[in-house]
Amino acid sequence: MKHPIQLILLAVVLAVGLTLRVWLWRRRAGRTARQARPAQLARPARQAALARFTGYTGLVAAREILQRIRGRIFRIGTLLILAVVAAAIVIPVLNRGKPHPQQVGVAGALSAPLRAAVVAFGQSIGTTVRLVPEANPAAARTDLRSGRIELAIVDARLILVNKAISTADTSTTALLVRDVSRTLGVDEAFQSAGLSAAQVAQLAGAKPLPVASLQPGRPSGTTHTTSVVGLILVFVMLTQYNAWTLIGVMEEKSSRVVEVLLAAVRPVQLLGGKVLGIGLVAFAQAALVVAFALILAKAVGSDLLHGTAPMVLVSTLAWLVLGYAFYCWVYAAAGSMAERQDQVQTLAFPLSLPIVFGYVIALTTISSGSPSAFFKVLAYLPPTAPFAMPVLVGLGAVTWWEFTASAALSVLCTVGVAKLATGIYRRAILRTGRRVGFREIVSKAAR
Amino acid sequence: MAGLLELDGLTRRFGPVTALDDLSFSVPAGQVVGFLGPNGAGKTTTMRAIFGLTDLDAGTVRWHGTTVGPQERRRFGYMPEERGLYPGMLVGEQLVYLGRLHGMSAADAAAATHEWLERLGVADRANSKVETLSHGNQQRVQLAAALVHDPELLVLDEPLTGLDPVGIDAIGDVLAGQARSGCCVLFSSHQLDLVEDLCETVTIIDHGRLVVTGTVDDLATSGPRRLVVRVEGDRDAAWARQLTGVSVSEVDRGAVRLVLDESTDSESVLKAAMSAGRVTEFVVERRRLSEVFREALA
Repeated sequence: MKHPIQLILLAVVLAVGLTLRVWLWRRRAGRTARQARPAQLARPARQAALARFTGYTGLVAAREILQRIRGRIFRIGTLLILAVVAAAIVIPVLNRGKPHPQQVGVAGALSAPLRAAVVAFGQSIGTTVRLVPEANPAAARTDLRSGRIELAIVDARLILVNKAISTADTSTTALLVRDVSRTLGVDEAFQSAGLSAAQVAQLAGAKPLPVASLQPGRPSGTTHTTSVVGLILVFVMLTQYNAWTLIGVMEEKSSRVVEVLLAAVRPVQLLGGKVLGIGLVAFAQAALVVAFALILAKAVGSDLLHGTAPMVLVSTLAWLVLGYAFYCWVYAAAGSMAERQDQVQTLAFPLSLPIVFGYVIALTTISSGSPSAFFKVLAYLPPTAPFAMPVLVGLGAVTWWEFTASAALSVLCTVGVAKLATGIYRRAILRTGRRVGFREIVSKAAR
Repeated sequence: MAGLLELDGLTRRFGPVTALDDLSFSVPAGQVVGFLGPNGAGKTTTMRAIFGLTDLDAGTVRWHGTTVGPQERRRFGYMPEERGLYPGMLVGEQLVYLGRLHGMSAADAAAATHEWLERLGVADRANSKVETLSHGNQQRVQLAAALVHDPELLVLDEPLTGLDPVGIDAIGDVLAGQARSGCCVLFSSHQLDLVEDLCETVTIIDHGRLVVTGTVDDLATSGPRRLVVRVEGDRDAAWARQLTGVSVSEVDRGAVRLVLDESTDSESVLKAAMSAGRVTEFVVERRRLSEVFREALA
């Protein structure tokens, strides 16, 4: 991708949209709902399959899944994500279908080797150059103003463009203008140095030397895009579903339904079922998005999936699961300590910091194209690995055993975090009156 | 009193506050047991302890002589003081879910849900969200949630609060019906006159300690006997004030409430009254539960 700025902008827009979605969802949850439409009293069959597998935890998870996917916001949100993905895949393909040849006006003399050189530049930057003969400089100016030509070469000594081109401009025209102006300048220098026409022609035909690199080659622009899309997916999903876990646990506590539930099931079953249910919904949504992207990209012939891109998508899905598994326990434990929205916000902010940090640093690493040593360390830390590791995969900067080691470390830490979080949850979810110190929570949770 | 549910030496401290202080009592089967005490006596903490919702510093809860664990609790039904249902979930689905969490099959839970909603008069709201129901109907659904799995022990924390007389009658009928079919029913209330009508047995606690427990009949007839006597034309009950072995507790528009000593019998009082004038009222009074309650806590 030539415009990382645009991608980062897209990421920011998505993040804002997500915040809006969570807000809308919470507002809806808070206000009195309309009368529900008539439905069958019980739909046992739908919930039965999972429940038979996992007992009471499965029952809790089945309820969670049913309630979540029934929500209107969830359905609209999924459609929105699919629409964005579709746009990201289809629009580049449509643009590619209409290559924009560069029209270069030539007024006065321009030697054959220079003409050939200008056309060759076009090819080297991925476009075609057509030379348009102009009767005189005045005609060239007119054509420039009308937009019939992109630039004009006057007597091989002056290059005219319609609008000034800044040094940061990376458009095709700007690249071409810079190359042509440099070459014509050098050519003029050769002539004033008194070289023969044959010598000048030889120099004008000079080719750049091949450049060998010690590191594996930088990924193509399309892998860049896939990495960024995967990163956004991980960020959106982790934020969204962690918020569900946090608010879901808090609402069970504040509505006191948890007392009725815990009179029947153990806290670990209730908590496990909740994160399992939300996790399955999250993974199903992510898998749907990825499958949709793969099928659509194949159907429209997008080059979004070349190179390491499929590996990036697979590792993104894998790390989405690992990342959710790690974070959901933390958010659930936090939710069990809160009873009101304002408490949730106080708790959620510090928890979201590692997610935002991992996301931003991964985005900047994609733009720079070369991971720092610090970034590689982040790829092994469970809180930031869901963002860093798929990026390393996209850059081809990680071996399979490094990937596996990081995943194993994450699983190991998740087990520890889950144990700790379950202990905190058990202490905090029914806590009334007495304040329990963090030290006590931890010491009892460790048992 | 042999009970199916035995609470033995329950002790729970919250920092400097002792919520339960070596509390022991038992709940027999086939009876509605009223659980009384002033605010902060430890009623809710006791009920939560039965369901393992609060840690105990000491003591055990036994069911049929076995220490209560998750398996036993699944056969209990609980209606907590602060209620608790998913506000946005459909009534019917919610009850089926809770039934299944107590180990019912999906089909059984659906049938029981239908039955209880029908019995409590809210069958037409099965497909409404809980939050759209009136307070009284939410309370009925909450009771159905405690009953849906046909529990052997029913523990209800203030089930009558905020209900109109029709609702109180409906819930009272259900509790009595459950007790008759062999269920243990323990419920707490502040409305002592209602408890008197509903319960056969009451247990009164204060400061986390047992104050008194017994059948309503025993408690009402224990202690000094009382008479209410009305003598026509004697609004100040002057005749009663000269009697020995009798003290006047109160005079209310000619009706005098007398408390008899152990040695005095009611017939001698009747004779004295008849000699004073025409007797229009003569009642051997039972103690009201509110009196038992006040005396027990005095």
